Parts: sequence; structure tokens; C-alpha cells
Amino acid sequence: MNLPDRTVLESGAVLVSYALPSNPFIAFRGSLPAGVAAEGSDHGVAEFTTRLLLSGTRRMSAAKFADRLEGIGATLEFRNGDEVLSFQGRCTRENAAETVRLLVDCLSQPTFPPKEVERVREELRNDLRIEADDTRHRAHRELARLVFPKDHPYGRDPKGSEARVRRIRRSDIVSFHEAQAGPEGLIFAVTGDVDRKLIETALVGPLSRLKGEGGAVPAIPPPPPSRPAAVSIPMPHKSQADIAIGGPAIARRHEDYYALNLANLLFGRIGLFGRLGRNLRDEQGLAYYAFSSLDARTSGGMWSIGAGVNPSNLAKAIESIRAELDRLRTEPFSREEIVDGKDNQIGSLVVSLERNAEVASELHGMEYFGLGMDFLERYAEIVKALSEDRVRDIARKYFLRSASSLVVAGPVGRTRVEW
Amino acid sequence: MPTYSESLENGLKVVLRPIPETKALSTWVVYRIGSRNEVPGMTGSTHWVEHMLFKGGGRLGKGDIDKLISRLGGKLNAFTDTDFTMYFETIPASALDTALMIEAERMRNAAFDPKEVEAERTVVISEREGAENQPEFLVEEELWGLAFHVHPYHWTAIGYKQDLANLERDPLYRHYLRYYAPNNASLILVGGFDPAVAMQHIREAFGPLKREAPPEPLRLAEPEQRGERRSDLHRPGPTDLLAMGWHVPGVAHDDTPALILLSTILGGWRGMVPFAAGDWRSRSNRLYRALVATKLATDVGARQEMKVDPSLLIAGVTLARGVSLDRVESVVDREVAKLKAAPPSKAEVGRARQQARAWSRYEQDGVTFQGMLLSIGEGLSSWDFPETLLAKVEKVRPDQIRDVARSYLVDDHRTVVRFHAQEVPT
Repeated sequence: MNLPDRTVLESGAVLVSYALPSNPFIAFRGSLPAGVAAEGSDHGVAEFTTRLLLSGTRRMSAAKFADRLEGIGATLEFRNGDEVLSFQGRCTRENAAETVRLLVDCLSQPTFPPKEVERVREELRNDLRIEADDTRHRAHRELARLVFPKDHPYGRDPKGSEARVRRIRRSDIVSFHEAQAGPEGLIFAVTGDVDRKLIETALVGPLSRLKGEGGAVPAIPPPPPSRPAAVSIPMPHKSQADIAIGGPAIARRHEDYYALNLANLLFGRIGLFGRLGRNLRDEQGLAYYAFSSLDARTSGGMWSIGAGVNPSNLAKAIESIRAELDRLRTEPFSREEIVDGKDNQIGSLVVSLERNAEVASELHGMEYFGLGMDFLERYAEIVKALSEDRVRDIARKYFLRSASSLVVAGPVGRTRVEW
Repeated sequence: MPTYSESLENGLKVVLRPIPETKALSTWVVYRIGSRNEVPGMTGSTHWVEHMLFKGGGRLGKGDIDKLISRLGGKLNAFTDTDFTMYFETIPASALDTALMIEAERMRNAAFDPKEVEAERTVVISEREGAENQPEFLVEEELWGLAFHVHPYHWTAIGYKQDLANLERDPLYRHYLRYYAPNNASLILVGGFDPAVAMQHIREAFGPLKREAPPEPLRLAEPEQRGERRSDLHRPGPTDLLAMGWHVPGVAHDDTPALILLSTILGGWRGMVPFAAGDWRSRSNRLYRALVATKLATDVGARQEMKVDPSLLIAGVTLARGVSLDRVESVVDREVAKLKAAPPSKAEVGRARQQARAWSRYEQDGVTFQGMLLSIGEGLSSWDFPETLLAKVEKVRPDQIRDVARSYLVDDHRTVVRFHAQEVPT
């Protein structure tokens, strides 16, 4: 496997690239340290700012910008996250330079027109209402709040609240953007129909033009301890209830990460959702989806379980999840399960890196978490080196019912849920 | 990209796209069976059959498909549409035979163990209930149900809950035997393989499978709609929604290329492969300018539903708070009237065409999406259909876009569903 190419531009921005010539276009993904963690107590400012980045630049109005971008057939999206402002896009080789110029314009010269500020304000208020009506969103948002309490950036709603959205002023947005957007901390990962010549002629130039004072990478404090809780969110007009269960986990660079990642795969991901899926979906037919997730970030992380069930099956489903968590102690992963899981992780290197979008995301993660450009080359050895006992121990250590919280959202009445 | 096609003696059509520089392989089988082939009382049966085809049979025990693919680090899934059903595995190319074995067994030997059929009943109902939680699904189901009185596009692929509650094992199994046969399917391979070697393995795996009598052609045709149809749903929800559907011809019709540009100009283009576009939304289209930029709506879209039989061109709007459905509807009417009044400018047509052109490349993102695109082509017509269609899109003139707007965006042929969000009970 050829190693990805990594270039640090004079501005401090990092460009990572990997050619995948069988895919006839270019995909890129990147980030700036301008996410929720950077907004301090100004809740919702990062999200508001992010949504305005396509709303006009010094060179072009929002409408002209859209005409230009779509006129060359390119796509560009910005998304606000807990840690970073991320962006992604697609373009063809012929219009790569123009697409990156447009990206840089959005980041360095946004005008935040007052009319667009008011449009995005209404959009945010609508989205808050839509999310408040979504059982899965409600359950998992509440779970994040419980696992990352005390207003930690990982636990709060990036949109803030209806009240905050109403209060945020254009000047707050301008200040936040000026303070955060700059070349320092910028990562640009690109793949597909790229080569050294294209990078030098079409990408480095526009990216080097990104100026700004901001970009100091904010330190994200470790999440405070969480107190397990059980919460029920009645939404009587819904057909299905969503269950979210989870607890604290670890940062991406933690030494337990790879063992926990494998344990999570076996517990609720491999095949039709691992042990959880086998029990809840395949054997009992209780849910269309029942899976686990591991979300490991810079300063901490969370494991979680999600399932959607008919309200009449709620108690049975929760009991089955409880039994599967307990089973990690009474009936640890077998040798066969662990071998299958390792084979899956090693084999998936080929399969998961077949798409530009996936490769760009992986390249970005390698740079963002400091895994090294040889990470993919080392990955199989890392997985092979995990001992079976370590995987079992780690599963017992983190998938702790006693340290986890439960949230149920849906037509659950006022019944108290027990956990 | 070089793509080859040939058929086995039993009627299985094979489409091969070798990409020597990739180590992955995506194997797809598309069956020409969808909810379009169902009858009232058995809605959702095609989708239920799809679920059953992950539960083993023949040389495969329960759970074997998952296990075999998981060990390879592969991914697998299936999709049931109105017109076709597709299955795929993406795996390391060295494991070609595993994928072929799974798909050959799935084609004729699925077990349909009565206990497993029963266990899956609640799973498919759960899938439907999850969809019911979303107001957009309720609007979509209402729209198709109202626009089609005779043709099976009347119901969606998931089926009605009462049918899912009552369907029995034997009719499901008969449905499977009837439609899952080599002469009603296409096998598509994309990735790192040698075509001659792959063809030999395909013959060994699928050659012995017997053909079935070809399925009867669908005889139900939707009569011409005579007068606008409307439905007002009053249900708890977060925002008002508007959906308008106009009858348009089946995908093979000569007007399809112009309709693609029409829907792109009206509401943006997101390609033919579901999922490929992700969350991306066009902002250069007329509905965005007229509704989102003016704060009347927070989301808009238009799409031509490309189906074998005459289908719908749908415009959808998520309204901003406090804006009336009447007002938004009148704005959509105004935009439609403009499209009928005059051809779009060359610049606008050029932009729409460029989007279609670019998406045709974005949809080639890896072996899985390429396999999906070829399979959709086979399900609708032929693997090269998307490519052929794009070539026709290149030739559409602005006046043809105005002409199809005049022919199809007709009030008497449209169906309007309005979702009036009621306060959510607490």
C-alpha cells in the first residue's frame, strides 16, 4: 500500500492526499478547530456560523455562489461538530482549482449578509422543532447530555436552544468566525483522481491563500464524571419507541481503544449487529435495528446502544439488552467470535477504502488524531496483537450497566423506566 | 469504463465491469420483482421475502451469510424497490466464489423456515413503525396512494401494516419461487477480477439453476387522472409539509431526459443512486430561490421518480414556521407557471446539465456504487441505461424543457398532499 502524501503548507495548514484513480472524480474532507468546543459559553454560535458559510462571500452573493458552484457541478458542505467545523465536497479534476478557491472564499471571506442570518435563524428554529419530534434524535441527544454532563461540549445540543437561537446576533457570528477561522489547524484531505501535479498546481495555491488570525486549537477538557440515570420522554403520537443506552468510554488515542473497538464490533455491529442484533432482531424479532456504537474523540468518548421497538415490546427489549450486557461477564466473547471480529477488521481495510468519500474521511481522521500516515499499513498488526483476554477484559471494563444511562423516547406513557 | 454483458443458457444476464487496479469486488444480483408485482392483501411481501433471504437455505445455515461476509471484512445489504429488488456483497476480490455461492443459493434455495418467517413479521412491522414516526413517510404514502388508484404504485414497498400482520408463510414462499429465477435476474460484478475467470466461476455457480416460466407482464395501467386530487393530513408534527406529484411517463419514454433537466431546474439533481448524495442540497434551483431564500420554507426538493411504469415528478417543501400552506402552494404554482411560459435560459440549462454530468461521475464512487448504478439500470431497463440517458440529457434544448412542463405539470394530473402539523401532545 502506498502511503498517503502529507504536506504542511507555509500557513500551517496540512494537506493529506491519496490517489485512487479508479474513481473518476475528486473527494475532499477537512476541518478547522471552530466547532462547539470553540464557542465557550456562547451556545449555538458555532452551528449558526457554519450554516452561513455558503451564504455569500466578498466576491459573490449567496445566489451567485450557488450558481457558480453548481455550474461547475461541484458540491460543498459545511458541518458543525463537537470539536471542529468540518467541510466536504466533490469535484472533477478539471474544476478542482475553482472548487478549492470557492471553499477558501467561504472560509476566509464570508459576508454573513443580515438577510441570510435571519433565514438561517428560521431554519435553525425549524430544525430544533423537527429534532424535538424525532424519537431517535431525542433519545440519543438526552443520552449524550447524561454521559457528558455539566455543559461539556460533547453533551450539549450544537444548535443551543430556541432561546439562544433567537438571541444570537450577527456580530456574535462575525466575532466567532474571525477568532476561529484561519489556516492554523486546518486539515484538507483529498483523494480520488488526484496526483502530485494536480495538488501542486490546483490545490496548494488556493489553500495557501487562506488567511486569518484565528484557528488556535481549543483545549477540550476531559468530560466530567457522569451520574447514571433513567429518563423517559413521552411522545404519545409516535408509532415506535427509541431506546438509547450508554456510558463513558475513552479518547481515540487511549491505549484501550483498539480492544474496545473490537469488543464493540462483536457486541453490536458485526454482521447483523453482533450479539445485540442476534438477540433482539434475529431471535426475538423485537426490533428492526439494535446496535452498539463507540464514539471516541480527542478528550473522551462514549459507548452507546440504540434500538427502535414497538412500545409493547419495550420492557422485553430493555431486559434483553440488560441480559446481553450481563452476558459479557457470564459468557465472555468466545475464541471464534474474537477471531471473526479480527478477520473482519483486517479484511475491512480493503472494502472500506473503496470509495473516495470513505478514504477522504479516513485520511482526515489519521491526521486529526495524529495516527501517522503509516496507520493503515500498521492497522492489521495492531488488531492481530490484541489478546483474546484483553478484548474480554475491556468489554467488561467499559460496557458497564451500573455506569450507564437509559433514555426512552416514544409512545411510552408516563411509565417509569427502570435500569 | 469497459463493461461486458452476456447471458447464460438459463437466462441469467451477467454484467462484468473489471477494474484491475482495485482489490475490492462488489457482487450484485437484481431481480425484476418489486412491490409493483404485488396484489392487494399481499403488500409488503416482496420486502418481507428480501428479509427472508438472509436466513439461509440450501448450503447455507441460518446466520451463515452474515458470518461468511463478516469474516472477510465485507459489507452486504439488500433493497426492495417498487420495480426491482437488489442484493449485494462487497468483499476482497479474492473471495469471488463466496459471493457467487451465496447469491446462487439465495436465488433458488432459501429456506423460509416457518419459525423464521414468524420471527421476521415483527421485524418488518418494526421497520414500518420506524418509518411511521416520520411525517415525511406519511405524506409520501398518502401521495402515492392518492395519485394511483389502479396501478400497484398505489402502495409503497414496505406495504400496509394490516397486510404485514396477516401474511402467511406459504404465499410468501410462492412469491419467492415465482420471481427468484435466473431468467428474471441479472448478476453484476464490479472490481478486481479477470472477466474470463469470473465468467467460468459464474457458469459453475449459476449454470445448473433452472429457469422458471417468465413472469406474466403487469397488465394494470393507471387510467388518466381527470382532475386534481388533494389530501389534508392533520396530525401531530413539528412543521407543515407540502408535496405535489404530477404524473410523468415511465423511464424509457423519450421525454425522460427533458424531465430530468426540468426537475433539476425546479428543485436540484441528486443523481440516480440513492444515498450517493448524502445530505447535499442544491441551492441554485428555482424552488430554493423562491421559497428558502425568501424564508417561506427551510427545505425544498424536486425529483423525478424514475420507474418502469408511468410515475410521478414530486416537489416537496418543508415550511417555515408561521407560513401558510396556501401561500407556499401559490409560490410553487407560480414557479411551475414560469416553466410553462418560457424556456429556461441557456445558462440555467447548462448548469442543470453540468450537475447531471458531474453526478454521473460521483455515482462511480467505488465498486459498490458502480454496482448499484448498473443494477438500477438493469432493474429499470439495461445496465447502460444511465449512460445512455446522460447522452440524451446532453442534447435537450431549452424549448423541450418548456414543452415537457406544459405537457406534464398539469393541474388536472397532479396530486397535492398537505401536512398540517398539529401541536405535539406532551
